[in-house]
Amino acid sequence: MSITATTALPRNRARRLPEQVLRLGIVVLLIVVITVLGCLVSDRFGTLNNFLNVYEQSTDLALVALGQTLTILTGGIDLSVGSMISLLSVLTSGIINSNGDLVLPVCAGIIVLGMVIGLINGIAIVMLRVHPLIVTLGTGAVLQGLALLYTMAPAGGVPDGFDFLAYGRIADISVGATIVLLVYLLASFLMRRTATGRNIYAIGDDRHAAVLLGLPVKRLTMLVYTLSGLLCAMTAIYLVARFGSGQPYAGANYTLASVTPVVVGGTMLSGGRGGVIGTLLGAYLIALLNDFLNFLHVSTEIQLVVQGLIIMLAVSAYREGKRG
Amino acid sequence: MRNGFKAALLGTLAAGFLAGVGHAQSQPATPAGYQGAPRTELFNPALTTCIRDTSKYKKAPPYTIGFSNAGLGDSWRVVALDELKQGAEDHKDVIKKLIITDAGHDDAKQVSDVQDLASQGVDLMIVSANTEKALDPIVTRVMRQGIPVIMLDRRISSDHFVTYINASDPMMGRLWAQWIVEKLHGKGNVVLLGGQAGSSPSENRMNPAKEIFAQYPGIHILDTVYSDWSPVKGKQVMQAVIAKYGHKIDAVWSAHGLQVPGSIEAFVEAGFKPGEIPMHTTADVNGPLLEAIKYKVPMLEISDPPSQYRTAIDVALKVLSGAAVPCTYTVNSQISVTPGDETPSIKSDVPFDSLGLPDKPSNYLVTNDLGPTYDPTTAHTQYPH
Repeated sequence: MSITATTALPRNRARRLPEQVLRLGIVVLLIVVITVLGCLVSDRFGTLNNFLNVYEQSTDLALVALGQTLTILTGGIDLSVGSMISLLSVLTSGIINSNGDLVLPVCAGIIVLGMVIGLINGIAIVMLRVHPLIVTLGTGAVLQGLALLYTMAPAGGVPDGFDFLAYGRIADISVGATIVLLVYLLASFLMRRTATGRNIYAIGDDRHAAVLLGLPVKRLTMLVYTLSGLLCAMTAIYLVARFGSGQPYAGANYTLASVTPVVVGGTMLSGGRGGVIGTLLGAYLIALLNDFLNFLHVSTEIQLVVQGLIIMLAVSAYREGKRG
Repeated sequence: MRNGFKAALLGTLAAGFLAGVGHAQSQPATPAGYQGAPRTELFNPALTTCIRDTSKYKKAPPYTIGFSNAGLGDSWRVVALDELKQGAEDHKDVIKKLIITDAGHDDAKQVSDVQDLASQGVDLMIVSANTEKALDPIVTRVMRQGIPVIMLDRRISSDHFVTYINASDPMMGRLWAQWIVEKLHGKGNVVLLGGQAGSSPSENRMNPAKEIFAQYPGIHILDTVYSDWSPVKGKQVMQAVIAKYGHKIDAVWSAHGLQVPGSIEAFVEAGFKPGEIPMHTTADVNGPLLEAIKYKVPMLEISDPPSQYRTAIDVALKVLSGAAVPCTYTVNSQISVTPGDETPSIKSDVPFDSLGLPDKPSNYLVTNDLGPTYDPTTAHTQYPH
């Protein structure tokens, strides 16, 4: 049985290669279409400065969506990301409180705290055997409550220069967005080239088979939620740099928004299929779309409708491709 | 001597500016009260007024103006946006395009919106910041790029902008608080019903109010709650407060009128009879004005006129013409208090019972100046875009 299962996994992966190409192709196609339309709408849309802005604007969503991709690849989901970002952002600026000496220790502590919260999510999912959606929904409520108990309004502040993380540019290229790009490239390498990465896919593909194969399912589940917590902490620190302070609802919109680039990027919500590069392209697509809609001068309501339609188009196109 | 001359010249320019931004075409929905120069300017105890030299922003028309809106979501902001559009329409001879973005009350989106407006090459940007700290870094950067920024109704935490147009949030907060103190003769329990936590109108009204309350040891703040400027949430949070404190509540200091109908409804549903509901403060909104009469609620209304959005267009054109402008521009607030509830510090500019409009809905803004037939639910205000 073990032999059958281990030989089946590579065969599945070989079959799915065209699917992956199709997935990424759809996102790239949408990016190209929006770019062309944008250039037709305004001669300023196609400027390098505008694309560099879009690159910078993708940073926060790309960061949080990377963790979400990992949880979804295992067949789970992390609905605590928004509340976790809110709590960690108010703690970051509230504790630093414009004291430059505290920046490094507090940021390090926040990253550890994010990982601990993620690990608690993972342990609860594994030990309680409750669906991740329920567990993370619960922890999300707890974390949002803690954020509001800590402060009802923006808290603390950060010293001058901290915003370099969000707005800093070298050779006009966003430092924050480039760090995120490098994190994605590393994650992609690890997911494709290491046993841990392949096992994460295997868990989402067929959890039962993964258990029978003797894969460390519990440990890997805890790992992906810990990584999701880590990326939430990084997002929180980034947002504090971008806003100059922590906000008790800073992460509220990221819970569902973090799923959008994952789905648009071709990762299946059922787990086991997809990849982090698709998510990164999905985040670029969302940032470009928002920018394009601003150039079109359409209202927020219409922006939401268009975003929803793009998501549906991308997902349905992928499903059509899969049937073919 | 030269500095004195310069100050006198700037003062003259400012006076001309203040006189020049009147609303010749405005038609208030309710009787006009105080029509003089902004009281906050006249009563300002400082020896000099901060005046901003804008000559470096002088440009020839036509202009492209960007407006980054924090979001809609309540009736005040819907009417205010129509005022802005009307202002641009009134000056379409010099305004080529008014680009409006709406952040949906999302700080991250508004930061991106401001960047996008800068990318679109606007000549001047008007920003109504969702929260004052979060927008500070990006507005500061836009100013550094050489694009003049006018803060409108919601400011950023620093002074990195050309001018800030509002109805003087601190004045409103203090007057409301002082009225409550005087009505309670310095002794009583107060609930603070804020708007959106972290937004400058809420914080800049509440904090000065707290300073007033702090001067009276007999005044106790029972609780501070936030309504997000919504009557629905206002009702929810006040239900919880009433359940906790009941008849111990002597006054509700509210940062605006948007949430007050919810608060009064919560008291009515909790069994408070007419005459028992504690005093409330309010602004602009029709519902509380009618309910105050119906349920005999002592009430102080200080308007926060949405016409300040139309004023923003006038001020923008001043900046682009290179004229000096005050660092803060306040529009007049009308003061009105329920009959018999005037105090030594608070007197009515207009009779309270002339403000409420029984034939208009609860969320109608009685302080709009878009004319008696204006209906925000059906209006399609034209503007150059």
